[in-house]
Amino acid sequence: MQARMKEKLGEAGIDVSAALERFMGNEALLERFLKKFLNDASYEKLVAAIDAEQQEDALAAAHTLKGVSGNLAMTELFALLTEQVAAFRANDWDKAVKLMPEISKNYEMISAAISALE
Amino acid sequence: MGSMKQNLSADPSKKGCPPNLSCRTECSEGMTGISPSAGKNAPEEGLEGFSITEQPMAFSNALSEANTILIIDDDEINRGILGHLFSGNYAIEEAENGKAGLRAIQKNRKRLCAILLDVLMPEMDGLETLRHLKAAGLLDEIPVFLITAETTDAVMREAYQMGVMDVISKPVVPYVVLRRVNSLVELFRARRSLSTQVMKQQAELINKANQIIRLNQGMIEALSTAIEFRSEESGDHVQRIHDITRYVLQNTEWGKGLTDDSIENIALASIMHDVGKIAIPDSILNKPGRLTPEEFEIMKTHTTAGARLLDQIPQLRENGAYYYAKDIALHHHERWDGGGYPDGLKGEEISPWAQVVSLADVYDALSCKRVYKDAFPREKVLDMIRTGQCGVFNPRLLGCFFEAEPQLALIYEKETPGH
Repeated sequence: MQARMKEKLGEAGIDVSAALERFMGNEALLERFLKKFLNDASYEKLVAAIDAEQQEDALAAAHTLKGVSGNLAMTELFALLTEQVAAFRANDWDKAVKLMPEISKNYEMISAAISALE
Repeated sequence: MGSMKQNLSADPSKKGCPPNLSCRTECSEGMTGISPSAGKNAPEEGLEGFSITEQPMAFSNALSEANTILIIDDDEINRGILGHLFSGNYAIEEAENGKAGLRAIQKNRKRLCAILLDVLMPEMDGLETLRHLKAAGLLDEIPVFLITAETTDAVMREAYQMGVMDVISKPVVPYVVLRRVNSLVELFRARRSLSTQVMKQQAELINKANQIIRLNQGMIEALSTAIEFRSEESGDHVQRIHDITRYVLQNTEWGKGLTDDSIENIALASIMHDVGKIAIPDSILNKPGRLTPEEFEIMKTHTTAGARLLDQIPQLRENGAYYYAKDIALHHHERWDGGGYPDGLKGEEISPWAQVVSLADVYDALSCKRVYKDAFPREKVLDMIRTGQCGVFNPRLLGCFFEAEPQLALIYEKETPGH
């Protein structure tokens, strides 16, 4: 992975060196999973569940997405989702929903950067 | 957000997974982590720090026993990360929920050296899985690690109480997980190896102990046989006394209250009842006719001589049979009515073992040919004993003896066909 790429990913909110550590320095593996991230349906599920006001589904989707973003060192996104999951668990629907714009913004920024990888 | 569908085929060799790696149970795309992205070919780049060709060799050199880690997690990335982390040193199995995990454990039980378990999973969650494992007694056999984002008190407490080895939080820090898991795998292996060694040594010790016991018995038999040899008895007499004594003690009321060990010791001791004869001159020992009163007095001393002899053998004193041997040697010629020798003991003063050996001795003497007589037919033997012609015995002992006698008679049938 070229330095420029790493920089771009970093700007989008991915702490590449932290992620690489988790993958034991295996850049190919990291890349592969970053690309998988784009296929992860959790974000769509989260959006849909919020629209349909289904708290359980939303919590499940948020939790999964949180795990993925944590593993891939998407620091800001991870922090937001952590907050959202906590809100869902505390039955604070409003707070959880309020976090969606930030979450979406971060998600799209990251997705764009990953798509640009190839 | 373009979705790049990755059309990776199911053929492991195409994905860069070595074909002889243990299968990933729920894998759909091959999880060794070296599969190239769609469209690219040889993955030479990106192999830093990880050589897939090394793996199979590492396994064949590793312990032929348990070297597989099972990763149970519904998150593909987690499985990928953990699998990648450990695949350098272990074989990896995966499952995407508790149910699949339990199946994988059943299949691979002997090969597993650790289980990494997520908490939140569909179908069966981590705690539920843990409960099953505990019920199956597996938690003592294989170290289980909870790897979870849910490090709440309640979860941790229940997990630790059930016997999980460690709770590791997600997202994982690689060197932490490696160290914790490796440490415990090593611990369990060391324990197992130690317990195997201990068991082996125990078995060896028992073996040696048995050898020593047999050696002892052999020497006692040799000693007694050698002494009996002088009076032209064969070694069989000694063996018969042993067998008769043991049979009566094991199979009638007479042996009541005695442990199996004690009975064995008494039987062994009975072999030495006449060792004192070594002190008796040939002329008396082998005289075919009746002994004079003086000669008889000398003959009687074989009882006390026997006890003295046994006393002189220090090693014998440690033998469990010694306690009985001395008593039997000394008192096997006492009589129930007090008319015996050397001490004129009467009734219950005579120990049960001296009594039974005394009777066995008479029974054998009557039933066999001796220097001074022929072998008597069985009916005559029984009659003589019953009517007190050959010594006075405890009525209760006689009762037990006659009960056992049909079996005992078989001993003589073998030796004198047509008897």
